[in-house]
Amino acid sequence: MSTLRENWRVTVLVALLLTSAIALFVPGVPPGTGADAPEQGSTSEQLTNLNYGIQLSGGTRLRAPIVGITAENVNVTQADSTQLEQTVADELDLDTVDVRVRPISSERSTGAVEVVTKNVTHQELRTALENSGYQPTNVRDGVTPETRRQMVEAVDEKLRTSALSGASVQIVNVPGGQHFLSITAPDRDREELVDLLNERGTVKIYAVYPGGENGSFVREEVLKRSQMSDISAANREGVGWAVYITVSPDAADGFAQRMVDAGFGDGAPCGNYNHSDIQQTTAGESAGPALSNDEPGCLVHTLNGEVVTARGVTPGLGESFANGDFANDPVYVMQTGSSENPAETASEIELNLRAGQLPAPLDLSEDSGSSLDPALAEQFKQNSLLTGLLAVLAVSLVVYMRYKRAEVVVPMVATALSEVFILLGFVAFVQYPLNLSHLAGFIAVIGTGVDDLIIIADEILQEGEVETGRVFQSRFRKAFWVIGAAAATTIMAMSPLMVLPLGDLSGFAIITIVGVLIGVLVTRPAYGDILRNLVLDED
Amino acid sequence: MFEFEVPEVDYTRYSNRQLVAVPLAVLVLSLAVIGGWWAVTGAPVDRGIDFTGGTELTVGTNATLTNEEIEATFDEPVVSVQGITTTSDSTYKNQYVVTFDNSTSVSSVRSSVQSAEELSLLGSGTTSPLFGGQNQRLAVIGVGVAFLGMSLLAFAFFRTFVPSIAIVISAFSDIMIPLAIMNLLGIKLSLGIVAAFLMLIGYSVDSDILLNNHVLRRSGGFYESTYRAMRTGVTMTLTSIAAMIVMAVAATIFGIGLMADIGLILVIGLTADLMNTYLLNVTLLRWYKYEGANR
Repeated sequence: MSTLRENWRVTVLVALLLTSAIALFVPGVPPGTGADAPEQGSTSEQLTNLNYGIQLSGGTRLRAPIVGITAENVNVTQADSTQLEQTVADELDLDTVDVRVRPISSERSTGAVEVVTKNVTHQELRTALENSGYQPTNVRDGVTPETRRQMVEAVDEKLRTSALSGASVQIVNVPGGQHFLSITAPDRDREELVDLLNERGTVKIYAVYPGGENGSFVREEVLKRSQMSDISAANREGVGWAVYITVSPDAADGFAQRMVDAGFGDGAPCGNYNHSDIQQTTAGESAGPALSNDEPGCLVHTLNGEVVTARGVTPGLGESFANGDFANDPVYVMQTGSSENPAETASEIELNLRAGQLPAPLDLSEDSGSSLDPALAEQFKQNSLLTGLLAVLAVSLVVYMRYKRAEVVVPMVATALSEVFILLGFVAFVQYPLNLSHLAGFIAVIGTGVDDLIIIADEILQEGEVETGRVFQSRFRKAFWVIGAAAATTIMAMSPLMVLPLGDLSGFAIITIVGVLIGVLVTRPAYGDILRNLVLDED
Repeated sequence: MFEFEVPEVDYTRYSNRQLVAVPLAVLVLSLAVIGGWWAVTGAPVDRGIDFTGGTELTVGTNATLTNEEIEATFDEPVVSVQGITTTSDSTYKNQYVVTFDNSTSVSSVRSSVQSAEELSLLGSGTTSPLFGGQNQRLAVIGVGVAFLGMSLLAFAFFRTFVPSIAIVISAFSDIMIPLAIMNLLGIKLSLGIVAAFLMLIGYSVDSDILLNNHVLRRSGGFYESTYRAMRTGVTMTLTSIAAMIVMAVAATIFGIGLMADIGLILVIGLTADLMNTYLLNVTLLRWYKYEGANR
């Protein structure tokens, strides 16, 4: 027992090594890699729990600014916001989707108005607001924090619904006020990822019915994304492929009422809806014969402005709108049977409805990122491992040439390697994706580690035998002052990189700092103990 | 098998002036190179695509192509084509890294390769000028803050002016010398090199602290303390240099740019550190110990 206490540093080192081995090799130990993890099937054949970034396993990373300009300090209230959105959109000749008003609320003390397209200048937005009687203090590039948050959520949803496993998205803040969206997708090349993001899928549901001027048709958006609570595509018997949209309870009555007001209360046959004319403003020839019923009308579904399907309303459904039954079971069925590929159309609509559209586009012309073929990444992984091993071999050779004593050199190299092993265990446990820059960090850790071990060895092995524990303690403490001071400067040198968003370098700095901490607190002191035991045994 | 023992340098044979002359001359020369470069090109060192913006493609092929043939694949102007050594288990016999400037769009050069029959696209990396400018600003801030923090710590550790400033000057010189050599060798600044500079600050201070500690805080004569510090310190630095030479060579052969950059800069910087620590620092400490401290 007393030997254990005397050598507590070694004990701690062994305990940490065992913990790291568990974190590295026992499947499911790091949080999030357990049996409930979705990609369990693909990771089960992996040797370790290490998580590799795109530089070592292939994939794509994109970093791009969000398109948009924001007018700040606009004193607009919640009540006026919808009106202002419409006015600004009209003035700038935009769709209201591209204009967003953030009114004064409990979360923000001043209002803001943002426009998320490229072709509106700061001055145009300012003028549009001033024409409506608002005085923004300034107009800046970039979007509001709310939109940034929504962007992350929307992209995240898109990545998840498209079955991209292990993909991630986050906002990167650059000191000076700029923000970027950073998206990482393993196993996808750049084109696939860009396609997925560019699909700014907008699904709209319109009712088209007579009642306009001169016998033209009215087009009204009757159900919006915000009014839907559940969306799923399915192929059911007797219906075929369809998207089942559950209307949220508080919107169901309103929706039914709008349908009745539009004249769908008794059902309506749609007939030959002219698919190339969404508006269907005039009862032209193509639409004429079929829509000439007493109460004709169509429910038209568009994806990115193009009509996907147009259908009538059965009398039964119409009746349920009229008598309020619809609200009891508010499921809106969007059949896709009439399209070319019903299954694909249904899942595309589902995806776009679920993921919604991105609140703002990404400026991919300002993109920075990288994409790597998995085979090349694998090659990098093996070669950098080999490089690291060669570097360790070189270190071992030099210290051996200097000391010529196996009992000094072998524990030294073993201690340096155990530092790396514990660090790997840590990285596996927090599931930090390893990239090339982190491997450089590992090499930095071995470098400072061996330096410190040389200081300890020289201090303890200096002339005058280490007869007593007290001499050892004093020498050890002296060596430790230098090691501690050196570690403090290394951590100081690396810490700016931890907070500055310099891409790869942040990972390098984090690994180096964690490694130096593990080294100074655990492994390097333990080497002192090991050396004492070996040297004292000899004497 | 040969062995090495750190030789004992007889510092008493040289005057302070003689000892500092070499490191100071090298530092002045380096600053002249950097300053001249700055005056002529507008930047102290040539910046790579991490800072200027630009695109880099990695392509593989089983055909034997000349650089001109690869350049002809693209409508866009190619800055450079560089071959990478492949190993026997690589998918392609030949691999190249093709670099473009920041006027090139990454999607168009990617599609050029994808439509080329003999080439396969293995990877791409791109930095927009906007990001590049930002990287540059942040890297300068990062190195600046790191250097300042290191200087403050040095003063906090030793609390006397001369030994502390010796650490700062030596670390400064350790960065300036590789920077000047980069210009002479035509190496462009990358993010990996910035990381190497920060590592260099850490390594450089290690041996300086060790030396100051032995001379100022331990009993024993100046020359004896210096020799003991040197024995440890030189071993430390030589170990690191050996590791970095191996890393630089292996990573260059394998085409792992980031690690090759870090290795090369550290080899140069650590060699400069040997000179600065054991010529410049030792002399400043000797002056402080024998003359400065009595004033």
